[in-house]
Amino acid sequence: MTNFWKPPRQMDKSVSPISRPLNLFRISDFGLRVFLLCCAFALCGCDNNPNPPPYHERRADGSPWVVRYASLVSDPKSFDPQFAYDVTAQRALEPVYDRLLDYHPMKADPFELIPSMLEEIPKREDAGEGKVSYLCALKPGILFHDDPCFPDGKGREVVAEDVHFSFQRICDPKIESPFYEPLAQRVIGMREARETAKDAKYDYDKVRIAGFETIDAHHFRIHLSEAYPQLLYWFALHTTTPMAREAVEYYDGLVHDGTVRPSIHKFYTVGHGPFRMKEYVPRQRIRYERFDGYHTSVFPSDGFPPEKAQWLQQFAGKPLPLFDELHFAIILDTIPGFVLGRQGYIDGITANKDAFAAVVTRSQELTPKYKARGLELEKVMMPNTFFLSFNMQDPVVGKNAKLRKAISCAFDVATYCDIFYNGVSPVAQQLLPRGLFGFDPNYKNPNGYDPEKAKRLLAEAGYPNGRDAKTGEQLTLTVEEPADGSELRQRAEYEKRAFETLGIKIIVNENTHARVLERLEQGSFQLGSGTGWMADYPDAENFFFLFYSKNFPREGANYCRYSRPEFDAAYEKMATMENGPERLALIQQMNAMLDEDCPIILQFSKAYFSATQPWARWTHNNPIMEGGFNKYHQVDAAERERLQPEWNRKPLWPGLALGALIFGGLGYAIRWNRKSNV
Amino acid sequence: MFNYLVRRILYAVPILLGVILITFVLDNVMTSPDEKASRVLGPKVMGKARVEWIHNRGLDLPLPTQFARHLGKLARLDFGTSWQTQRDLRDVFLTGALPSLLITGPGFVAAFCASVSLALFQVFVRNSPLDRGLTLLSVGLMSVPTMVYVIFGQAILALWLSYFPAFGFSFAGFGTVRFLLLPVTIFIFINLGYDARLFRAIFLEEINQDYVRTAHAKGLSNARVLTVHVFKNGLIAIITLVVAQVPKLVLGSLLIESLFGIPGLGSVLVQAIQTGDQPVIMASVFLGSVLYITGLIATDICYALADPRIRLS
Repeated sequence: MTNFWKPPRQMDKSVSPISRPLNLFRISDFGLRVFLLCCAFALCGCDNNPNPPPYHERRADGSPWVVRYASLVSDPKSFDPQFAYDVTAQRALEPVYDRLLDYHPMKADPFELIPSMLEEIPKREDAGEGKVSYLCALKPGILFHDDPCFPDGKGREVVAEDVHFSFQRICDPKIESPFYEPLAQRVIGMREARETAKDAKYDYDKVRIAGFETIDAHHFRIHLSEAYPQLLYWFALHTTTPMAREAVEYYDGLVHDGTVRPSIHKFYTVGHGPFRMKEYVPRQRIRYERFDGYHTSVFPSDGFPPEKAQWLQQFAGKPLPLFDELHFAIILDTIPGFVLGRQGYIDGITANKDAFAAVVTRSQELTPKYKARGLELEKVMMPNTFFLSFNMQDPVVGKNAKLRKAISCAFDVATYCDIFYNGVSPVAQQLLPRGLFGFDPNYKNPNGYDPEKAKRLLAEAGYPNGRDAKTGEQLTLTVEEPADGSELRQRAEYEKRAFETLGIKIIVNENTHARVLERLEQGSFQLGSGTGWMADYPDAENFFFLFYSKNFPREGANYCRYSRPEFDAAYEKMATMENGPERLALIQQMNAMLDEDCPIILQFSKAYFSATQPWARWTHNNPIMEGGFNKYHQVDAAERERLQPEWNRKPLWPGLALGALIFGGLGYAIRWNRKSNV
Repeated sequence: MFNYLVRRILYAVPILLGVILITFVLDNVMTSPDEKASRVLGPKVMGKARVEWIHNRGLDLPLPTQFARHLGKLARLDFGTSWQTQRDLRDVFLTGALPSLLITGPGFVAAFCASVSLALFQVFVRNSPLDRGLTLLSVGLMSVPTMVYVIFGQAILALWLSYFPAFGFSFAGFGTVRFLLLPVTIFIFINLGYDARLFRAIFLEEINQDYVRTAHAKGLSNARVLTVHVFKNGLIAIITLVVAQVPKLVLGSLLIESLFGIPGLGSVLVQAIQTGDQPVIMASVFLGSVLYITGLIATDICYALADPRIRLS
């Protein structure tokens, strides 16, 4: 008979791992202790440097290979110089493509153009009937980067036809160049080229631009239908940089011999600048390596700021670039950028909102902690002006200058800047920002904050204490506010309260920034917030055109719909003039007209602080290229090698403490379980 | 089973059509073509350039025509091109899936193992002060927002202790692991509290079943009862909760990927939302719904496989 019952199995307490409490100090638990130690060492051995190893350790001459680490806030939209317009793309293109002219890296007040690929700044030639021409001479010996698109893979010399090819590309509708319209207004033959390109496949050989005359390999002349001195600033933009036709045709994004060639319109570059782009990994990094064939420009020998002049002398006349490899980390969020900066893995810390309190004191100095580390603080003054726009066609605010002035005088911009920009951004006193010809540092906005004046003006405007003098009704105004985030809502609230101190009622229409712009374009608003202008190039024309009556939306950005014949006449004259006393007088007249009519409420020009690492002291502080001018930067690799490990020491005890905690808990559990089972 | 599967897949078609229609309508109600152009080209590009951009993308066509085109493209799995980065979206999704899975895959498995272990451990020491302490800890872990985990992880583990890179990613063989350690750790902690509480409740329900008393009566140790009998039976309930999550792992983790610079699909979506990249948003929503439906079907299948009493018909 089978016995189905079995006696309970006796537990062997000496074998079962959970039958006795764990004791880390017993010999049999030695393995666990070793495991714990290994974990701790593994953690300590884990390198926290996120940057990949440099391409080389040493240069050909044996000196150390120097890398500069910087960051971008987003992916570039394109690497096509004729298409890319966003700031990130311009920063990403700047190391690869030199421009025909450059800005002097040390001269930011006023900004100054210097030759880059051109031998000298082109001179204006009058061609009769109001037409003008610019004769340009390319420096001989500028080479394209070596690339398989060229015969034998060797980059050829840059010639005048390459500049013409760039202009042809701007006309090509397939490229969707945003630069076409402003250039086509002046450069003869661009419109015709565009029309031809629309009809059939654009044949670059047949369709030449009439206003572009190629004289020889290094000389070309550009013919304009009217005087346009700003053309020189266009030469300092990437859009007019020479492009190799071989490269554009070779890198077409199609499959050739079973291999996909990247598209130059999107992610590939064949440039002639100081660096070659070696790697682009979307949402991670862009890496560049020095181009040995670069001899286009050298480090300037003048314009040094007095406080750095002695130190900068060592670089004067040196060949560029001053370092060998450039690494852009693409960091979409602000916090990681700050952390990497603190660890020394990027060469600077931008004191944005998240990092400001840690980096900058209330008196706008570097905090002692960072001062002790040897960082330096640089203040970057952006060439932009922000303002609120009145709708000059609105029946209430558009017809009543005193009402607009009253509202402007009620707005305390200084406090606004203190709250939302930590007092770093200066209050704008005039339309033009610092660094532009016509900017007057002593000028004071007559419609600036003055609460008493605001009330007086409001009464004179027919609204004493904010009520209509005739009907007694409270004045109600609507403000279009971009409110994409909590901070923007706070700004909207501040503006509402500021205006309501006058006794008027403010209705805030919160929307996305794009929707606010749409309303401004449609003209369906009374007062629009979040408007302003960042200089495309540092010329007064680039700001005053915002109030030119022929620039009403949708073609232009005169959101205010400001129209005054005297202003238009002055603008038309000023826009075509070279800088000089006469032009300055016109700018002053236009400023006075804007003050008199008050179509905008001036707010501020944006500024920010950046803390630079001890090994990457800035040679220059020029905001016009927004973090560009990479070739002029210097890096002291030895200093970085000394300080980085010091700033990234790994303590052993937290790993051990964590392990002890876990195993202590396990021991406790087993003891408790044994006790409860007794 | 086969008939059931076919039926479920057919049910999924109208659901997917509904999702596509709703996202399309929402997109067009929320943003006008001008607004889209302004977000992509920037506020300075106006006039003819903007009109041309709108025309080239067919945004000036009647909405039904646009919707028909959109459907046709999705049917061919042609997601189009990103407006912001000009990249082919099929390529974006294919290259983004692996980094996402490298975070969510190990994170999901480790979080599952850790939660189950912690839940079993709590059941093991149930009603003790340690159990109560761990319950409190789990509630705490559940309550902390993801952003806080990331900030503390970066501040303490990466910045203060210098154990991990605070940011970045690179396919560098074994070297990739160091970029994953901190995000995966955070991913585990984000899920640990909720999962451990849930699994503990499931296991506690099992521990009072008759078969457990029988197992004890047979003389089995506490550990064996828990790890073999309770765990196995509790797993049926757990599978139903967990399997639905698996396909969605491909989509990654929105915040972790963005804040650690992991080039996965989560960060693609965050960037697309921030920059108004409509093709990416539409394709991501479509992909998300496909994966969600797949997860639900997989759950049903796993449920039937794990529990012989369930029959799909």
